[in-house]
Amino acid sequence: MAETSEISEQKAELEKGFDPNTMRKTKPGVKRLALTLSVLFSFLLGFPFLWKSIEIYRAPLPFKDIDSLSERITSNPLQFPCGFQAIFVGFGSKTYEELSRLEYSIFNRMTGLTSKRTQCGSCSSNFSVSVTFDSDSSCTQKGHNPASYHCGEIKNVDFNADDEVVDDELEFVLGRSYSKGKKWYTVIVVNRDKMIKVAIGKYRHAWIVGSVSEEEAALRISEIFTKVFMNGGNEEDVIHGEFMPVGADGKIVLSFNLLNADPQDWIYDWDFDRIEETMLSPVLEALGHIANISVESQVLYHTPKSSFSHWDDERGAHIFSVGDLPFFVNSNEWHLDTSVAAGGRSKILHFAVYIPSAKECPLLLQVPDGDISETNGFISPMWGGIIVWSPPNCSRDTESNYQTRRKISSHDLQMIYEVFMGQLRQLFGLTSHNLFIGRSGGAIKLASEKGFTEWELDFLSRQHACSNLHSCSTTLSSLSRLVQSLPRMIIMEEIGKQVEFSLEAAKQAESDASLGIFYSSAGSSRQARSLAEDAFFHPSIMSVSYYSFEHCFAVYSPFFLPVSLHVILAALREWKRYKQEKTKYLTWVTKSNAAAS
Amino acid sequence: MPKEILEYWPHLSAIGVGASVTLPGLGGDIHGQYINMSLDPIDWPMNGPFSSTLGIRSALNCGLSKVEEKFTEELLLKPLPDRKVLAHFHFESTAPRTQYYGRHHHLFPKAIAQLVQKFSIREMELSFTQGRWEYESWGGYDPISSSSAKPPGVELWAVFDVPVDQVDASWKNLTHSLSGLFCASINFLESSTTYSAPELAFHPASVNLRYGTLPREAVCTENLTPWLKLLPCRDKSGISSLLDRPSIYRGFYHSQRLRLRHVKIRADAPDSDTVLEQTLTVVLQPNGIRSKESHSSKRKLHPTWSMSSLFGRKIEGRCALAKSSNVYLQLERDLVAEMKRLKEKRKIFDISVLNEDLIENPAFEISIKPDLVLREVLSSQTESSSLTYEYSIGKSASPNTFDLSFTWKSPVAWSCRKPPLRASRFLMGSGNERGTIAISLRSMGPDEGLNVSDMDKERCVLPVNIFQVVPWYIKVYFHTLKVFIDEKPMSVLDAVEKIHISPSEDKVSPGVMEMVLKLPCGVKSATITLEFDKGFLHIDEYPPDANQGFDIPSAIITFPNIEASIYFDQEITLKDLPLLSSFQEKNPIRYYTEVLLVPLTTPDFSMPYNVITITCTVFALYFGSLLNVLRRRVSEEERLHNAKGKSGPLSRLIAKLRRSKEIQPQSTTTSSSLFSSKLILKIIMVAAIAICWQYLSG
Repeated sequence: MAETSEISEQKAELEKGFDPNTMRKTKPGVKRLALTLSVLFSFLLGFPFLWKSIEIYRAPLPFKDIDSLSERITSNPLQFPCGFQAIFVGFGSKTYEELSRLEYSIFNRMTGLTSKRTQCGSCSSNFSVSVTFDSDSSCTQKGHNPASYHCGEIKNVDFNADDEVVDDELEFVLGRSYSKGKKWYTVIVVNRDKMIKVAIGKYRHAWIVGSVSEEEAALRISEIFTKVFMNGGNEEDVIHGEFMPVGADGKIVLSFNLLNADPQDWIYDWDFDRIEETMLSPVLEALGHIANISVESQVLYHTPKSSFSHWDDERGAHIFSVGDLPFFVNSNEWHLDTSVAAGGRSKILHFAVYIPSAKECPLLLQVPDGDISETNGFISPMWGGIIVWSPPNCSRDTESNYQTRRKISSHDLQMIYEVFMGQLRQLFGLTSHNLFIGRSGGAIKLASEKGFTEWELDFLSRQHACSNLHSCSTTLSSLSRLVQSLPRMIIMEEIGKQVEFSLEAAKQAESDASLGIFYSSAGSSRQARSLAEDAFFHPSIMSVSYYSFEHCFAVYSPFFLPVSLHVILAALREWKRYKQEKTKYLTWVTKSNAAAS
Repeated sequence: MPKEILEYWPHLSAIGVGASVTLPGLGGDIHGQYINMSLDPIDWPMNGPFSSTLGIRSALNCGLSKVEEKFTEELLLKPLPDRKVLAHFHFESTAPRTQYYGRHHHLFPKAIAQLVQKFSIREMELSFTQGRWEYESWGGYDPISSSSAKPPGVELWAVFDVPVDQVDASWKNLTHSLSGLFCASINFLESSTTYSAPELAFHPASVNLRYGTLPREAVCTENLTPWLKLLPCRDKSGISSLLDRPSIYRGFYHSQRLRLRHVKIRADAPDSDTVLEQTLTVVLQPNGIRSKESHSSKRKLHPTWSMSSLFGRKIEGRCALAKSSNVYLQLERDLVAEMKRLKEKRKIFDISVLNEDLIENPAFEISIKPDLVLREVLSSQTESSSLTYEYSIGKSASPNTFDLSFTWKSPVAWSCRKPPLRASRFLMGSGNERGTIAISLRSMGPDEGLNVSDMDKERCVLPVNIFQVVPWYIKVYFHTLKVFIDEKPMSVLDAVEKIHISPSEDKVSPGVMEMVLKLPCGVKSATITLEFDKGFLHIDEYPPDANQGFDIPSAIITFPNIEASIYFDQEITLKDLPLLSSFQEKNPIRYYTEVLLVPLTTPDFSMPYNVITITCTVFALYFGSLLNVLRRRVSEEERLHNAKGKSGPLSRLIAKLRRSKEIQPQSTTTSSSLFSSKLILKIIMVAAIAICWQYLSG
């Protein structure tokens, strides 16, 4: 009992020093603090779930693969392996050392002739040369040619015969030794007492006939190899790869138009279906490895040109000069561009024959040096070509108002077709001269009925593969940039698939290229490009229906802003109060302890 | 050698005998050419290696004799009873179905041939129309009105030559291609809610037929230009050069039409030819060269017109590519009869005998004498037949320019041939919930309609086809179909011979009603009514201007047994005159009703966001107050309050209010003056706040 009285005494003593404003006797409760904090934490925990629930679907894109592809393409342009073989006939027997010296000299010269910069789609850094001496008595070969040429076979070829015959016979002899994959380009040197004659065939070989020394032959051989077989016979080192006129879906529509400037004067018609049947179809077949080509034609009327021409007394003709060419195509009146066949992203190449009206007939094109152009035509890269064809005699018959429809004579049509073909070749980046002039001398080029010789097609498919891969990688990398810059854009599963397949096809094209299978490489690269374009131009990407962050914020802020304000304020207040109360309690405790002691 | 050549020219064998004969020559050419062709490489273009194909030349020459593509142009002018003039342009291109069809063309538009080829179109008609054809004053019983009078906006129907399950896909692709070709929003017809497949009441009945309309499509020059692009001469020469845009679009009615058909021109031909018929029908008001004296008789006189006053242009020669180029002037039966009556009257005064073709007559004068007068052949002799004057452009004596003018000399009143029944369609009921569609057919008067004797009238039956498409948001109850004949209700079974209904499916397909009514011949009026409910659309489905209302496409009313054909007395070379020969075809009379405008309830389009905002605010309020209640310490607050007394201005105010509340019961009893003064003060304060608010927000 004494204790209790003591305690009550103590209490009374304490009661005196108790200030309710600064002290409290009980421990502050944590109930409300726990409540507000738990609400705050559950709020914070809820945020990731909300974030997840408003997330939009994005198919995972292989960004890393895309980057590595574009890096590969830019740093290490696509290179094809090429094999060259030189066959010397009638040079007598040689020792192995002489042979290897000759091979080394050809190889050196070729390396000197190829440009230093490795160009995409060429084989300037990856070629092999093999040399064979074929004489009556012996046969020496040097070089790693798996499809070895069988000595003695070339003797059956009669080099005195017509070039076409020689070409076909050589193809017969050499064609057997071509393996399926890598193509070998061959130059045959036949030593005999005659004027030197150099011819390049329409397959993959050339021949030099005449009295020629080994050194001179080596010079010529290396030039033919590098300038013709490697670079498609272009004198200048321009690479047209970027300007390959092939649509993104690998299709070309050749649209041929006959433009009658003024049908009141005369109306010309043509039998284009015949041209297609007899002349165009082998060309299209030959180009089939590069693009899927369709042909259509129409005749248009009332299509004046939009540039001016002036009368030249000396020539007795109307002249238009090269400076007028940009204004020649009258896009208001020439309705060339209607083709349902060219759906989507096909390339349309327009070829137009312009028939001038009576008041500007005959119409001739003057080239910058003052001469009259022989073909009277011009091309516009990636657009097509135009030929001006003036009617035979520029007089209109005024008697009848109703014009009879005249046909362009088949001879003229033939000429027009030839110019068209030349223009098509130019659009593909090939020259159309039938002479090749090198530093060491000229060579005759044989023409193919297909319009394109096989070595030209090889060159084109190399270029095509390269340009396709290039554009595929740029398309894919710009797609990846776009996707990464818009984090809230929906990306369909299909786009992811297309990108994946495109990368696969690109890889296939690269591996085919390294094996030297040109056509297959061109095919896969075409597929890669078309898939990449499909992905880039997918309708779902084009639409603007992406759920932007601003939109999201505007929808959710009316709820989350006030609520979060409440929750955070409540938590802060409770926390402040708890601390305050705790200090109160602690002061009381210290005080009571002091009193107790 | 020939063997190898053949390898490179495998297609040569396809050419036939002519080609194989030339083969040896061809071989020689290939071998011999290239050396001669060595030219200077400086000249930049090329004529090098391709000469090797010279041998083909001979192959080019031998060709099969083939049917040529053909183009004709025609214009028909017709004075209308209501002082207006009808101009009907008709251009027709024909292309034989060769193996090069769709790829190589000379006259026929390549774009259209490619469409036909790609989508296997058997028949197609596309029309762009502005204005409404007035059947009563412009005629409803002639070939032009039954084929060229079209509903406002765009109408498209097509029959496809594909398996039934692919028809919809072809239709969708076709609409997209056409919308690109004609710069119009035809692609809206792609959605399955906008097109239908009529089976019964539409003219070329087929399973592969699809039909769609866009009543609200605005038609203007951007649609005309691509249409003109399909003509070989465009609007550069020939009859189409009359198409001066401002004068055409100033007209009362404008309908530009494109019709594709396949016609077997020769019986022995393996394939039928594609015929592309492009017509442009305009109704123009002549500017009327007003004569100075304006007494009453002159006022009744029809305005004088000429081609140059109507169109502001003249025809400067024919299109050089057209096989025939003709202008017609048509005088209607009633006008001819009126002329004859006038002639009889004049005969009393002077004895100038008028010739039958009425070229010289007292009522009007034509500036150019026609090349040919075509008279209509009638079964009955009682009526006078209509006359058609034919002018052949380019053949007429006058040099090149052709400007026909038509001068009225004395007032003439006549009426055109009216359709057997006049149709109109209207809405009944009010409100945004439900309504009734009524289609009413009225007889045009006792003398018009069918020439049936009274005896036959009992048995005779007039079949009438009605084809009505209703969008899905107009939910029609087909069981409420009621038929009234001569204002007496009839049972549906008695009045309807055949009926085909495909009810609408929400957001999938429109409702289609096709029925064949059998009306007694002497019918005065017939009405059918259908009740409907208005549906709700999803917010995304409303068009930009939703408050304007929604269009129900025109109903098509066809009289299958009555043909609007004109037969001419001169059988001659009508084959080369496609417009006149099309008059002789059997065209059933077709009548389009008005487009109905149905107002639907349109929501406030900012609604979703408002709803979101309000809901969120309410939730936030609830949440916040709940949290406050949970952490509130009532006892402590009271203690603090008691201890502190007045502290902040806010708490002081609250305290004051509380106190006044406590006092109030007493004060009201004690002093009413204090209460009233305080109350008035409060009211004034509230009013001031309200005024401020109004002022600031307003």
